[in-house]
Amino acid sequence: MKLRIAVEGLGACAGCEIAILDLHEELVSLLQDLEIDYAPILIDRKSLKENVDVLLLSGSVRNEHDAEEAVRLSEKAKITIALGSCASFGGIPGLANLYATRELLERVYLTTESTDNKEKILPSEEVPPIEKIIKPLKDWVKITYDLPGCPPQPKLIKEMFQMLLNGKPVTLSKKTVCDECDLKREEKKITRILRWGEGELESGRCLLEQGYFCAGPATRAGCEAKCLAVLMPCRGCMGPPENVTDQGAKMVSAIASVAAIDEKSGVDPEQLATMFKDVVGSLYRFTLPSSIISRRVSEGKKR
Amino acid sequence: MPETFEPYVVGFLCNWCGYAGADLAGTSRIQYPPNLRAIRLMCSGRVDPTFILTALKRGADGVLVVGCHPGDCHYINGNLRTERRIVFLKKMLSDLGLDYRRVRLEWISAGEGEKFATVVKEFVEEIRELGPNPIEGNANET
Repeated sequence: MKLRIAVEGLGACAGCEIAILDLHEELVSLLQDLEIDYAPILIDRKSLKENVDVLLLSGSVRNEHDAEEAVRLSEKAKITIALGSCASFGGIPGLANLYATRELLERVYLTTESTDNKEKILPSEEVPPIEKIIKPLKDWVKITYDLPGCPPQPKLIKEMFQMLLNGKPVTLSKKTVCDECDLKREEKKITRILRWGEGELESGRCLLEQGYFCAGPATRAGCEAKCLAVLMPCRGCMGPPENVTDQGAKMVSAIASVAAIDEKSGVDPEQLATMFKDVVGSLYRFTLPSSIISRRVSEGKKR
Repeated sequence: MPETFEPYVVGFLCNWCGYAGADLAGTSRIQYPPNLRAIRLMCSGRVDPTFILTALKRGADGVLVVGCHPGDCHYINGNLRTERRIVFLKKMLSDLGLDYRRVRLEWISAGEGEKFATVVKEFVEEIRELGPNPIEGNANET
């Protein structure tokens, strides 16, 4: 008996499905035990009629169609897996929670530099209505396991299939990216905060201790710190590590602990914070919808 | 009839200075508003940003963190660690649309009962001006 799989991408970029294909030859051997029944992005099959063993859902729920699809398909699966960071935490599309729906629609359909929409038409016909905020998939359907990553590492996808084939629960690393990272830590304190591309990168040394924003201390391991191996700071796509609910809060503590603490350096913490640009976008790049304060609020409204 | 707004303020007080200061305010019978719910921790350095976010999420209108004066920390520099965290946290809260004044850090020693009462009075008044915490009310609006 082969394990029967369905794959569906909701509001996202289809990168997670491509990550499955990135298994290359290994996929061929896996397919001896797996049968992909339905995967609109990968195979030509118009609808899913029978029940399947495992449903891999990627992407976020951006409109009513996504929500309907997620519910309809998950009812046909024994196990539903949130594949990728969008499905697990809300992902990059989740940063839209920093804007009101009206602002989003106006930006996309009216004010982007490449827009040619003189009549100022906002689509209303034959387009599913937009959901007001992005929520992680587990708020919509029952998710058995998460497999985060943007996109999930093919190695982790392979391990996931093997765990499923052996009837075992899908587990993730309990460590943080720093545990897998080879760059050297020297317990140095920072007196500046840089964005990638500013200043001069020193190879071999911890990027956070050089003043670059790196989400490694607040991010789950599993990716083998591939970005760090090429001196690209961690962006946090694997989400918060075990027993941490709020990646941004954890990261605030991590930055605070490398911030110069003695009076000698003469750096005011306020000054350091001013150097930190795009705070929410950096701290919650992939996890805003599943964090404690999951969207922008506005002061001054009466409850 | 409009209801009057009574701020709900959560206070994280360190065992050695903040809480002792609050104690002194109490034993000295100094009056201060009852809006503060005090939580005693061993050190202000124990205040994880998650605590503050959770308090705000669950409806606190303001969060007051009280630690020892710099140099006086029972654990050498726990208070300075929290100072740094709160600076970044405030920036994050502003970006999320909250007024950063809803979170306040104060250094109050065990001998400063008077200062404790003044700080609570000021803070409660400031929050009263700011109005209710908008997080809950905005949950399902656009």
